Amino acid sequence: MLPEKLKSELTAQIARVDHPREMAIDVINALQDHYGYFSDEALAQAADLLGMSPLELDELATFYTFIYREPVGKHVIHVCDSLICWMEGDENLVAHLCDRLGIQMGGTTADGLFTLLPVCCIGYCDRAPAILVDRQVHGPLTIDALDRLIDTLRENHS
Amino acid sequence: MPTLKIDNREINVPAGTKVIEAAERLGIMIPRFCFHPALGSVGACRVCAVAFTEGPVKGIQMSCMIDAQDGMVVSTTDAEAVDFRRHVIEFLMLNHPHDCPVCDEGGHCLLQDLTVAGGHGLRRYRGLKRTHINQDLGPLVQHEMNRCIQCYRCSRYYQEFTGYRDLGVMGIGSRVYFGRSAPGMLESPFAGNLIDICPTGVYTDKPSRYIGRRWDYQRQPSLCIHCSLGCNLTASARYRQVVRHEARPNLEVNGHFICDRGRYGYAYASIADRPRQAMAAGTPGPIVDILAGAREAIQQTVEKHGPGSVAVVVSPRSSLETLAVVKEACGQHGWTGPAAAHTNRQALNRNTAVSCLRPELAVSLAADTEAHDVLVIGADPLNEAPMLALSLRQVQRRGGHVIVIDPRGVQLPFDFDHWAVHPSAMGAILQALIQEIGGHRATAPDTPATFDITKLARRLNASPRPVVVCGTDILTPHEIALAGDLARALRRTHKVAGLFYTLAGANAFAAALLHDQPVSTEAVLDRIEDGGVRLLVAVEQDLWREFPDRKRLQAALKRLDHLVVLDYVDSPLNREAGHFIPTQPLYESGGHWINQEGRLQAASPVMAGGEPIEITGGSDHPPRVFDRRIPGDEPLAAWRAVAALAGEDEADPAPQLKTALADFHPAVNLSTPEATGQRIDLEAIAHDLVESGPAPEPAEDDAPADAVVLLLVDWTFGTEPLSAMAPALTRMEAAPVARLHPDEIARLGLAEGRPVTVSLNGNRLTVPVQADPRMAAGVMAVPRHHLLEWQVFGETRVIVKRSQLKAESE
Ligand code: SF4
Ligand code: SF4
Ligand code: FES
Repeated sequence: MLPEKLKSELTAQIARVDHPREMAIDVINALQDHYGYFSDEALAQAADLLGMSPLELDELATFYTFIYREPVGKHVIHVCDSLICWMEGDENLVAHLCDRLGIQMGGTTADGLFTLLPVCCIGYCDRAPAILVDRQVHGPLTIDALDRLIDTLRENHS
Repeated sequence: MPTLKIDNREINVPAGTKVIEAAERLGIMIPRFCFHPALGSVGACRVCAVAFTEGPVKGIQMSCMIDAQDGMVVSTTDAEAVDFRRHVIEFLMLNHPHDCPVCDEGGHCLLQDLTVAGGHGLRRYRGLKRTHINQDLGPLVQHEMNRCIQCYRCSRYYQEFTGYRDLGVMGIGSRVYFGRSAPGMLESPFAGNLIDICPTGVYTDKPSRYIGRRWDYQRQPSLCIHCSLGCNLTASARYRQVVRHEARPNLEVNGHFICDRGRYGYAYASIADRPRQAMAAGTPGPIVDILAGAREAIQQTVEKHGPGSVAVVVSPRSSLETLAVVKEACGQHGWTGPAAAHTNRQALNRNTAVSCLRPELAVSLAADTEAHDVLVIGADPLNEAPMLALSLRQVQRRGGHVIVIDPRGVQLPFDFDHWAVHPSAMGAILQALIQEIGGHRATAPDTPATFDITKLARRLNASPRPVVVCGTDILTPHEIALAGDLARALRRTHKVAGLFYTLAGANAFAAALLHDQPVSTEAVLDRIEDGGVRLLVAVEQDLWREFPDRKRLQAALKRLDHLVVLDYVDSPLNREAGHFIPTQPLYESGGHWINQEGRLQAASPVMAGGEPIEITGGSDHPPRVFDRRIPGDEPLAAWRAVAALAGEDEADPAPQLKTALADFHPAVNLSTPEATGQRIDLEAIAHDLVESGPAPEPAEDDAPADAVVLLLVDWTFGTEPLSAMAPALTRMEAAPVARLHPDEIARLGLAEGRPVTVSLNGNRLTVPVQADPRMAAGVMAVPRHHLLEWQVFGETRVIVKRSQLKAESE
């Protein structure tokens, strides 16, 4: 269930624009923040709020890397797999991350702490190889720096 | 008009023509996946590459994206272009499964053709292919997403062209997925066209799965007879069973598409209980004997009671051949009829429309899409003539405007204005509009202020191309004539103003040409009741299902000395018949039909008749007995059977048909093959048949304040009698309900979801109530649903007093 407060806030925001669908991404983000991911329930609610069909929202949601249609871990690690990061050895980073976390690309650790996802270019080519964790960019990364980052994130939760 | 050269041949095309289309005019078919004439260009697939060697554009370019221009020199065979296309195809085939042998598209697949034509014969890619999970899209369309080549035709067609929003494209990059957000029935009643439009086997025809390959089928150009628009289609049959309809492009009628009622409505022709055996009083016999018996019964009746004691009713769905022979027989012998409408109002409605359709006003379904402003009067396009809704959507997409004046909660797949007015107010509104269009200030009729007639008149007057669309189901002849007057009034201020009527029945236009003064079944029943008619011949007219008063019909049938029924559908009526003669549906007889705009069209016979092997073999191997005859081959084309009933002996009826067609009506000329496909000579139709003049005496129209008008209406699925027999469409039907405005439900003391019983003259109709805020006040709309015994009140438009409505507790 969507809290009344959030619902009325969103309704008010939608009312301010000419075409409700202008607000689609904002509503999706707000609901994702609320539920942790953009669930089927959230999809139906967003469709209701915006007067769009569930399919139309799904078309948008599945297009964007940062909208999650499935549950994700506490921290989502997006590893850039675009050209520059690849030249700078992002494949090693990915291999190491998979090893360390015991998951494949796209997986979530059993403790629900980490989800590993690829992203095609985050615009930080100057810091390649780069990753994005919780909307924070890290790079250029070495294996050691990556290990330290994972350790810190883990410690914050123990 | 640019002139360009393609493969060394010069061609002159209208400005705005794409190079790919210009080439097509020369008979050069440049490969294409994403380009479709109805959808236009997007340049998504890159397979239409050609080389531009001279002129304003140079190099390898997409021929679907470039307008033909003067001085262009194009080569489709240029080595670089050929190589480019070969690579595109190889790329598109990377993920495509090698399942052609088991794919239902195999054999009529554009991807298959172009892969072979492009020279991609050997697969080099050794990696894994991306795979998808398919969805259940309902009973009509089968989904197999792995075959997709991302041309985007389906999502563009579904969302942009038809205006439905439950199928589209999700994901990104190599993960793009075409389908629904969650599995489930497709909402668009035009979804079946996905099958035709997808260049590969992602969407295939579900009801005909496992039945055969396209080359196994007997395929012939045919017509849809499930409404009056006469959409063109290709019918396929296998093993004496009609198995598939596909849209047949006709740019003057249905464009490239058909609706799902038309696509899947064919099952009645091959259904197990289709009557194939001639009967005399329920006893089977050879058809020649039964025909002779019926002829004798007719002769005896004529001898005893005179020729007028024999009456004929015929279906407005029957072929022109049948109508013509029936007309000739009645004329020659002095029989009563033929009646080809149920009630007096319906007969008059139809004839009024036909007589008002002057040649300078008539527009085709395709021309409708070019209108700028369309005023729809008393018509519910999606439910009465589905493809009309699709045409109107194209008007709106091109920036045009659609206004619907109708008491029902009309829904259309696009934005439009709806004036939900009471049926009794329609005439006054039209009259006021006509006055305003003529520049006279009209006294505003008693309608809500939101319905601004002056503004609407101004809009129509200013429109470069206005079209008036008018239904004939719920209105009265007066309003139908006014719609014609309105179009004529507009014509006076415009060069182009159009008029478009929808009619009841695929050949209703031809039925209107049977007589100047139309005869209805209602009038025939009057004559039966007063003893004037003693023998009735019902030709493909299933009065049991379609006449709006079953009790009266039954009583009248009892009074008859004799009933002769000719039909191809099973009906209790057939069992009442003294003589029953099975006839052939259009797939066997072929024939001509005249659609609602007066266009004469032909359907070829698709197969010889006979019980489908599916039935004779009990879904297994056909019986291993040998016979010279095909089981169940007795049915005759209705015109042959009628000719046999009317003729002196069993002479060859072909000359009789020829005369009957020649004599049918001066407007219809079948003597030249070119006439088929064209509009008949509307000039030759009497246009003074119906005077619109001042409003007729307000009879039922003046609804008392404590009454509602009950309209028995058409729905896309479930009401048209033939398509309602199709098992594939059962799941598409909504359950029958009585729709009323929520305020009306409260005013009448009814409750949403609870049944209401309408009692009128001792007859009752019980149906659950549904609120529809788009309905006009004072109106109740109930579908003529095959699951509802709606044939109780004698009309499809009746006044019901409040005291005649009762809320049921359950
Ligand atoms: S499903 Fe068919 S029509 Fe749709 S994009 Fe794929 S290949 Fe094209
Ligand atoms: S619109 Fe009418 S004629 Fe056309 S396919 Fe549908 S039912 Fe048939
Ligand atoms: S047909 Fe031209 S790009 Fe697809």
